[in-house]
Amino acid sequence: MKRKALQKLIALTVVFVLMFCLGACGSKDSDPASATKATSEDESESGNESTGTEKFVVGFDAAFPPYGYLDENGEYVGFDLDLAEEVCERNNWEFVKQPLDWNSKDMELDSGTVSCLWNGFTMSEDRLDKYTWSEPYVDNSQVIVVHKDSGIQKLSDLAGKTVVVQEASSALEALQSDDCKDLLDSFATLDQVPDYNQAFMYLESGGADAIAMDIGVANFQIANKGDDFVILKEAVITEQYAIGFKLGNEELRDKVQNTLNEMVEDGTFDKIAEKWDLSEEVCLGKDK
Amino acid sequence: MEAWDIFLQMKDGMTETVKIFFLTLIFTLPLGLLVAFGRMSKNFIIRNLTKFYIAIMRGTPLMLQLLVVYFGPYYLFRIRLTTEYRFYAVIIGFVLNYAAYFAEIYRSGIESMPAGQYEAAKVLGYNWGQTFIKIILPQVIKRILPSVTNEIITLVKDTSLAFSIAYVEMFSLAKQIAARSSTMVPFIIAGVFYFVFNLLVAFVMGRIEKKMDYYTI
Repeated sequence: MKRKALQKLIALTVVFVLMFCLGACGSKDSDPASATKATSEDESESGNESTGTEKFVVGFDAAFPPYGYLDENGEYVGFDLDLAEEVCERNNWEFVKQPLDWNSKDMELDSGTVSCLWNGFTMSEDRLDKYTWSEPYVDNSQVIVVHKDSGIQKLSDLAGKTVVVQEASSALEALQSDDCKDLLDSFATLDQVPDYNQAFMYLESGGADAIAMDIGVANFQIANKGDDFVILKEAVITEQYAIGFKLGNEELRDKVQNTLNEMVEDGTFDKIAEKWDLSEEVCLGKDK
Repeated sequence: MEAWDIFLQMKDGMTETVKIFFLTLIFTLPLGLLVAFGRMSKNFIIRNLTKFYIAIMRGTPLMLQLLVVYFGPYYLFRIRLTTEYRFYAVIIGFVLNYAAYFAEIYRSGIESMPAGQYEAAKVLGYNWGQTFIKIILPQVIKRILPSVTNEIITLVKDTSLAFSIAYVEMFSLAKQIAARSSTMVPFIIAGVFYFVFNLLVAFVMGRIEKKMDYYTI
């Protein structure tokens, strides 16, 4: 009996080891620029504020195109990530992309696992004194997306309708602010979903009548999903995107801001904006 | 975008999922036995401490436990977190949680053994260690296998909770791909992956059960 048990144990161990090897080979074969690399890349034990080759860890929501998302090649790309990469290159920092669960973004930033939140991050009233902010770089508005046959044409048509919004998003914050109180009260319900893709699933399937979201993301999603959806001309609120650093981390903020200003001056910033079709929206350096 | 391309993109995530699964299993199975002993200990302190541990692990959501394991060191002790710790936190969180469940499964098996067997072994001159390893444990394993299979299958599906501390595994990749390409295909692939994985688990466990079926009482 004992020998049998032992045989089984050995057989099991062999199976485990084999599975492990398969896993390991699989990851070695894979594209070096693949998605999971971003997380496995971080090998040095130093935090991002240490000296030497510093790491600059950008925390972002990977379901937020065109600012940061997973592209067809399995790479995290986007306007914000391109900017961040350029900033890192100019400062000789190691660039690390860290996709986040947006609900835990504050804990990630506080505990130092990410250097900044750079992902179409709205500089809203409520957030103003929670982070150390860069200068705003994109003009954004929160808009309403509806199905084109819904007959909803202006904000007042939303009375009695079901509206969905991403949890912990600035659209949600905007709707809950005092300015939008009447609008919010007119909705039948305001449902929160984990990401915008799910929001569109609700809208497509009839589970919701409208989505409140950032205009940049709305444009991207509609371009992708065909013309069944329209954006209401009347915006809920206009606001600006900036980079959020941990409260009090002015040193890093200033470095990034200076580099961004350089990039505006030599035209790199506009070039990147053009690449992502955001020339209209960017605002950094325009008012000078 | 073809389903195959999406599958290829999700492959790395699948490796992560499989990694979480096996590492958790390897550490949980022995730790669970240890906790089971603690739970059955004659020592009042050890027994109640273990009881408390099991109560906490079973009584709170795994997602919350993962957040505590990952962010706890910083918020409680102001220890700076490193990016590598993310993966360790996932494994620690899963192992601590699952050990509690496995401990109770082991206990159910061990306590189901009739006292007569211990007495008979004593008469035959076996000491406690020999009795447990050679007589009790093989029978226990045989008895608890169906419950263990249940728990392992749950573990496969629970791996998706790792993204609550931003560890990118297969299901979070599926969500990200779906967000970009407005298609349900990634979710279908994810579903098929979990299903096939669990079929495999059930098959392997079934084989072990059959092998263990050396006599019927």
